Amino acid sequence: MAAIDGEVAAAQPCDAATRRSCEFARDGARLNPFLTAALLLPGVVPAAALAQSMPDQGLFSLQYLDYRDWQPGAARMTVRNPSLYVMTPFAERYTFEGSLVYDAMSGASPLWFDTLSGASGLGVTDYRTAGDAKVTRYFDRYSIGAGVAYSHERDFISRAGSLDARWWTADKNTTLAFGFAGESDYIHPSARELDNGRRHSLDFLVGITQNLSPVDIVQSNLTYATGHGYYSDPYKTLDQRPGERRVLAWQTRYNHHFTVADATLQLGYRFLADSFGGDSHTFDVAWAQALPQGFTLTPSVRYYTQGAADFWFGPPFPQGFVNGQDYTADTRLSAFGAWTAGLRLTRTFADGWRVELSGDFYRQRGDWRIFGGGSEGLLPFSARWFAASVSKTF
Amino acid sequence: MGGEHELLLGGARDPDAIATRAIDDVLRIERKYSRFRDDSVVAAINRAAGGAPVAIDAETAALLGYARTCFEQSEGRFDVTAGALARAWDFGGKPTRRPVAAVLRDALAHVGFGDVEWDASHVRLPRVGMAIDFGGIGKEYAADRVATIAQEAGARHGLVNLGGDVRAWGGRPDGSAWRIGIRHPREERALASVELADGAVATSGDYERFVEIGGIRHCHIIDATTGEPVRAWQSMSVIAGLAIVAGSYSTIAMLMQDRAEAFLANAAVRWLGVDAGGAQRGSFV
Repeated sequence: MAAIDGEVAAAQPCDAATRRSCEFARDGARLNPFLTAALLLPGVVPAAALAQSMPDQGLFSLQYLDYRDWQPGAARMTVRNPSLYVMTPFAERYTFEGSLVYDAMSGASPLWFDTLSGASGLGVTDYRTAGDAKVTRYFDRYSIGAGVAYSHERDFISRAGSLDARWWTADKNTTLAFGFAGESDYIHPSARELDNGRRHSLDFLVGITQNLSPVDIVQSNLTYATGHGYYSDPYKTLDQRPGERRVLAWQTRYNHHFTVADATLQLGYRFLADSFGGDSHTFDVAWAQALPQGFTLTPSVRYYTQGAADFWFGPPFPQGFVNGQDYTADTRLSAFGAWTAGLRLTRTFADGWRVELSGDFYRQRGDWRIFGGGSEGLLPFSARWFAASVSKTF
Repeated sequence: MGGEHELLLGGARDPDAIATRAIDDVLRIERKYSRFRDDSVVAAINRAAGGAPVAIDAETAALLGYARTCFEQSEGRFDVTAGALARAWDFGGKPTRRPVAAVLRDALAHVGFGDVEWDASHVRLPRVGMAIDFGGIGKEYAADRVATIAQEAGARHGLVNLGGDVRAWGGRPDGSAWRIGIRHPREERALASVELADGAVATSGDYERFVEIGGIRHCHIIDATTGEPVRAWQSMSVIAGLAIVAGSYSTIAMLMQDRAEAFLANAAVRWLGVDAGGAQRGSFV
């Protein structure tokens, strides 16, 4: 949960919590010209973006995530992650949000290359605990929030603080969001002593959410992050990365609700420019289909592609490498393309309970890259994750 | 806005404040679109009939857009410019005879939504004496807005009844559905009832305003293409998601007379009607 994620509940008029407010679609088994015309009238159905005003109800959510990745011939990392989230209104115009996450990671560190197969020694077991808390004060036309976050691993501590403000028009059709966060990390690997294992970064966000019609919503966010300090991987002997990093990201999402089908099409695109050199593009498409009995089924597909970092060198080592220069062989910084296919089933019950199960499958290959050549010599990398969550409004 | 009104709210922290906001909006719509108030938008449009275009806001333009759908779907029978016909019949004056043919012909000449010149910012009624009346739309629109205002303010359960047009949401606070009675068109009792957690039910009937002339009931629902009150149905109730949609179906079904059943079947809505002979037709199940 990033400190300033900038997420405003995207338009899913018939999804889950807001489902009841738009049962109007149910009787439209076929094209209904009156309904189509009525939806153009102001205020006959609740605005799609409900997150902009003060929440009236609290929310408690418990999630369990099981992640596993592998490469040909080898099972790799496993992560098991329970998390807890609570949001509650208090004192009339405030909300409190808090979350706790516990990660248990085990398995060998990834095999990045064929040529290094078998070189990654004993394996890794690590635990991460993280938590954040945020208080938001709501006014009639704007809100201001402040939060803190803390994350702790055996060799890594991160502390962050954030401020955000939102302003919306009287009809709630337009929301502007501004965010600012500062983060301070401390890296102290067990294997070796670092001269200065610290890293500091600042994040800025500006975003707009616009209801185009009762069934169309678009959201666009621009984020800029600038940081300096230790970015290298302390467990890779030659890994040496620049001491500064600037990342500019632009993300736009568009949702359209089909009243006749009682479904929402969700489209997303993100462009990310990284001073390390690896620009990336992400394309998302999902279809949230409301079904009888409070079920919603959402299949989704994502395509992701990135270029290699300027200081990334592929195998065989040390092709083109000059000692003392920045260097990494981390495949996460190589050029590749990746597809993710997911399916999510949600059931919402009348008394505020909601149960969700989801599964995602991810596969990444160098030759799936577009907008440039992919890195060569990489094994395909696959991952899958399952999540189950239970939540209750109160 | 005539008739009895009712608002029930549940699951909210401050129901009184929410009710006040919702009722204020109903009164706002009434003030803005009443043809009986000199200071209403409708009065200004009607005064300017035959003259210069009148500037309108987005809400009024959207209502005109909705009126166009009703006009088109009813093949001209439902017409917000039918005010001249209502004047010709003058139900309020308890007439004892039909308007004479020349009066009715003249009234029909002042009806015709297709002739209204309008766009997103202006409207002009082309002939002096033409008049717009949102009476067949405004009350249901107000009911839907009450539901939205109350839901956005946190009322998770609610029911609003504006003169017999009902919109419900969220079921009752105990988790059961709202139970809504349908009035019998001739007797002081319920004809049927319907359980609705979310949605709307609207009823049009020949019993709201009518006069008996020569032993024949003439009701206020007038076919704008012929100028004649409808006779095929005593009442028509329709269930839809929105009150405004339910209201349009019930009124247009009355206007469609012997084609009502085909019209409603094509719309795939649940309906219950009482025909001129008193027999129940259609079903809510």
